[in-house]
Parts: sequence; C-alpha cells; structure tokens
Amino acid sequence: MLDLYLNAIVSGLLLGGFYAAVTLGVAVSFGMLDVVNIAHPAFVILGSYVAYIVNAKLGLDPIVTGVLVLPIFYVLGQAIYQVSYLSFERKGSDSLRGLAFFFGLLFVTEVLLILVFGVDYRYVEAWYIGPTLRFGFIDLPLRMLVPCVLSIVLFGALHLFLSRTYTGRAIAAVSQDPTALRLLAIDPVRIKRIGFGLSIATAALAGAFLIVIQPVEPSVGREYIGRIFAICVLGGMGSLPGTLIGAILLGIVESITTTFFGPSWAPAVGFGFLLATLAFRPTGLLGR
Amino acid sequence: MASNATVGDGGVNSLVIDGIDAGYGSVRALQDVSLRVDTGETVALLGTNGNGKSTVMKCILGLVKPSRGRITATIDGVEHDLIGKTTEAIVDLGIALVPEGRRLFPKLTVEENLVLGAFRPKARASIKTNLDFCYTTFTRLAERRQQLAGSMSGGEQQMLALGRALMLSPRILLVDEPSVGLAPILVSRTIDAIKELKDQFKLTVLMAEQNFHQAIRIADRGYVIVHGHIAYEGASAADLNNNDIIRQLYLGT
Repeated sequence: MLDLYLNAIVSGLLLGGFYAAVTLGVAVSFGMLDVVNIAHPAFVILGSYVAYIVNAKLGLDPIVTGVLVLPIFYVLGQAIYQVSYLSFERKGSDSLRGLAFFFGLLFVTEVLLILVFGVDYRYVEAWYIGPTLRFGFIDLPLRMLVPCVLSIVLFGALHLFLSRTYTGRAIAAVSQDPTALRLLAIDPVRIKRIGFGLSIATAALAGAFLIVIQPVEPSVGREYIGRIFAICVLGGMGSLPGTLIGAILLGIVESITTTFFGPSWAPAVGFGFLLATLAFRPTGLLGR
Repeated sequence: MASNATVGDGGVNSLVIDGIDAGYGSVRALQDVSLRVDTGETVALLGTNGNGKSTVMKCILGLVKPSRGRITATIDGVEHDLIGKTTEAIVDLGIALVPEGRRLFPKLTVEENLVLGAFRPKARASIKTNLDFCYTTFTRLAERRQQLAGSMSGGEQQMLALGRALMLSPRILLVDEPSVGLAPILVSRTIDAIKELKDQFKLTVLMAEQNFHQAIRIADRGYVIVHGHIAYEGASAADLNNNDIIRQLYLGT
C-alpha cells in the first residue's frame, strides 16, 4: 500500500513537471499579457510534430530539436501577436474576437496536421524512452524524468529573465497599465510581442517533451486546454513560481486519483482541488 | 547626493509651446496656447478642473496630437521638435511625466515600479544612485520596497510616482495634478518633495495644479488657463499672488 502511494506521488511529481512546461507559456500570455491564447496546446502539438519529423528523417534527439527550433517558434509567436494586435487589440475588440481568432487558430492547426499526417499516433525514438531507474520500490521512468528536470530548467530560465531583466519586468507590468509603460519610454506593443514570442517558444519545447512522454496525434492537445488554464488560476495569475507549484500539485492529485480510484476520476478531482483552493485563496496560491 | 551622476550638466533644458490647438473629436480643448519653461525654472500651470491643464501635458508627451502649433524641447542644449514623435521617443529624450492619478503598476512591488522607471538606456547607467536617492528622500518607500504599490496609501503612492519619474534621469519634469486625492498635509509634503527633487537634480519643472496656494509656494512663474486658453501670465509668484485678475478668474472672489 505504501509503495503504491509513494509511487503515485513520485509519478505525480514527474507529470506535474511536464504540466509546468505546457503551462509556462500560458502563464505569460494569459497571466501577464492578458492574451487569452487558447490555441496554446496547438503549438505544443506542432512542437511535437516538428520533433517527430526531424527524429524520423534525421534521427535527431527530439528534445535537442525542441531547443533548436525555439527561435523559429519565438518569431512565429511574434508574428501571431502582431496579426492579433493589428486586427483586434488596436481596435479595442480583442476580448471576444481575439478569443475567436485563437479558437480558430487551434482548429486550423489541428486540421492541417490531420490533413498532412493523418490521425495515427506518432512517436519518437531516443535512448531515454525505454529505461527506468529504480530506487527500492520507487520507479523513475526516464521518459518522465528527463522532461520533468528540463521543465524545471526552462522554468528557472524564464523566471530569471522575467524577474531580472528590464524587458522581463516590463512583460510583468504591461497588462496593468500600457499607457504608464509608454510614459517610461517603453513600447507596450513591442513588449507584448516579445512576451508572446517567448510564450510560443516554450510550447515548442513542451511539445518535444510531450512526444517523449507519450505518442501524439493531432487532437491530443485538447486534453490540455482545461488543465493549463486551471493550473494558471490555481497557481495565481501572472506568478511563474505559482504556476510551477500549481502544476506539480495538480500532477500529484491526478496521479493519486488515477492510482486509487481510476483515471476517469482524475479530471473531477483535479478541478475539485482547484475549486477548493480558490475558496480559500481567491487569487490562487501565489497570486498578487 | 550632490555628486549624483544624473544631475543636469548645466546645459540648456527648456520647453516651448507655441500656439497649439488641440481637441478630442469635435470638442475643442485648447485654443492658441503658448507657454515656455526656461532652464531650471519651476512653472505652474494653474486652473480649475476641465480647463485643459492635462491636455497641455498630453500634447507635450504626444498622447494628444495638436492640430496646430509647435512644441519644442531643448535637452542638454539640443533642440527637438516634439510634434509627430511617439510618446516613448519623447520620454526617451529626458522628459518625464508624473501623471494624474499616478498610474502605478498596482501588482508590482515598490522596487519593481521604481526599477521599471530606469528602462531607457540612458537611465540604466545611473540606476543605483537614483534608487539610493529615492530611498533616502522618501524613507517610506525604503521601508516598503517589497510591498505591492496598489496596497499603499495615496500619499505613499504619490511619492512612488515621483520616484519612478526620477528613475528616468529626466531633464524636464512634468507633474500633472500632484494634489488630487490627497489630504492637505500630504499635498503640502508632495509639493515640498517636488521642490527637493528639482533642486537636487537641477530639473526644469512644469506643474499643472488646481491648488493655487500650494503651487505658487514653489513656482517661479505661472500661467492661468481658462476654457482652453492662457488667460493670464504671471512673471513671478508674487505677481500671481497679489493680482485682481487671478482672484477674479481663478479664485472667483
């Protein structure tokens, strides 16, 4: 019983680390920039497919691919924000039309992936996908451990950037008062473009992690929409450390539920946990 | 503090507004407004609510585009035409505004608010001296550096807004309605603080204010704006204080 329980907690920790990678980008775009990018999972899946293609054609490690395409996803994110800004935000109609835009982006990306690759599950090959480390009765599958550790590295890098650099601090401020930023000689549109670029770049890496953890088909991303926004709110809007803690807590709650009550209970218990947290801390765990 | 690296180097830092008209849609807010602020002066722009003081400030910073007239600023001896420039570019020249209502970032800490003020490359070099200056001048800010700006009292927020503008290492400081929403004792302290900053940093100051008596305590000269045009120009504080036109126009007595 104890070993089952401990294993559930450990695998929840590992799963939570991965959830953090998927959610970090939304913590920036939704939490700091006020851009409700519900298409975020689509970019994660896109990252998975890029890792898959490069792995299948060139045999390159999927996570190395994820790192190499960071700049491409960064530029893609900047371009998408610019389109959304020019089309909606500048005209003050970003709340509903912007939402529809990102919803459309989600479906268009998914359908394009289905047209090109079909609905078969795709997977990658890497040395760490098979083996499992064992400490006594605790299992640490490397396909979970490697993404979890690298997620925490990604979290650390992003957190340092946001809290230590001028641009990072401006990203944290931009949705609170864009005009006040202009009065400090900072262009809020440029700041949001950079922030959104970073947000989409993290999705590329999260996508590489995803396809290491499990085989991927184009609609897998939908499973994450509810979860990532729940983690954002649970951790506290705009707080990166809160997002990490929220992701790990949700991972552990889901994992324990799956182990003892079956996987179909996991989302219910996960969201129940979110509601209970918000009842006591309406701004989330570390929300300001 | 006198060794502060950001103090104006004695160059010319002045502002000239020449015959501007401006409005919002079809509403005419300013009509043929001209004023000047010379190097090292503190000039008060006086007038009650809704007469166009804030619009003048917004025109200087490019937040409102005048339909006619010229605005030029001389920074360290170099003249710049401000009309047509973006707000960011104007601020980057060294013109800082303490806006009406303060416009702090409520969910950032005191220190994060201050540090954001040093974003422009010219200000980054002197961030440490400027930050030290803010904390020694406004000791409340030093005590509360990790507190969220939104959770502070109005007086503390006004100090933070002044401090944040100072972090820009400006040459010209514009202050829009520093007294709004403050208790009389805090208004007086805020006005004193503006005077102290001006002296320490050798700033050129234009202050829009409706609290006549407080404003002329530190002003060298002043203008009175009524219904969007300059109704009276006072050559000195005494001139403004002992003037029938002022009493009539502005104090209504």
